[in-house]
Amino acid sequence: MTQPSPTPGGASSDRTGRFVTQPNGHIAPLSPHMSIWRWHVTMTASILFRATIIAATVGAVFVIGWLGAMAFGAEHYACFASLAGSPLGLFIGFGLTVVLFSFILNGARHTYNDTGNGLTVKSATLLSNIAVWAPVPLAVLFWVVLFAVGRVSL
Amino acid sequence: MSSAAKFKNNVKVSERHGAGEWLIERVLLVALLPLGLWAASTGFTLAGAGYDAVLAWFANPLNAGLLAITVVVFFGYVSLAWKVILEDYVPNAGTRGLLVILLNIVFLVLAAASVFFIVRLALGSAPLPAGFGA
Repeated sequence: MTQPSPTPGGASSDRTGRFVTQPNGHIAPLSPHMSIWRWHVTMTASILFRATIIAATVGAVFVIGWLGAMAFGAEHYACFASLAGSPLGLFIGFGLTVVLFSFILNGARHTYNDTGNGLTVKSATLLSNIAVWAPVPLAVLFWVVLFAVGRVSL
Repeated sequence: MSSAAKFKNNVKVSERHGAGEWLIERVLLVALLPLGLWAASTGFTLAGAGYDAVLAWFANPLNAGLLAITVVVFFGYVSLAWKVILEDYVPNAGTRGLLVILLNIVFLVLAAASVFFIVRLALGSAPLPAGFGA
């Protein structure tokens, strides 16, 4: 496979000076990277989904810890519950709900975009904004209701 | 090496393998969306619950079954998703292959442990360490 030539040329209408001969012989602009593009929320949503998947994997280990504590009996469960009810435990719990809502919303965005829909600038921006920002107020609401009902307390 | 590119609906068909994995990843993600909502509602129900309340929750086969399905689908999805992430960020083929295998082993162990715990809790088995049906 030949590397694309970094020297501009070929396209007479090349006003950017970035056209190169691609491996398939076509003359096209060199693919721009993050340092070239102005940052857009769609890029945040995309990279955040990967971060969410990594965080969700870590979160799953906490859930398995909960399952294991249950399976090992009431004493172990009480130990787990006291850890989960501590300020640090509640903070991790809040993080897990953010990750869960982020996974659902960003996963829905990803799936919708994968079907070829919602890819105009306007709708892609809207869907990305929802996927990036909505998990935080949703998680806050989740925990406010939990505290209000008295299910959880500090 | 490869024959002329094939097209389907004007979209180039993958010349080698890979498209199947992509499709499985999408299908698993679609399955995880409603299961994720169910997990959120479950988290709300079980937050701050005591041992007996959680045990009663597991006694319902629908709850235990959905949780087991969620865990298996989740680790299946996560295995493919981590592979994609590693393919993008680990340039060395040997290191990448090793990491993919290691992570798959970890995910398999975690999923198996989860299903083991869920089955025991659903059957109302005695707390571990104890034999089956004890």
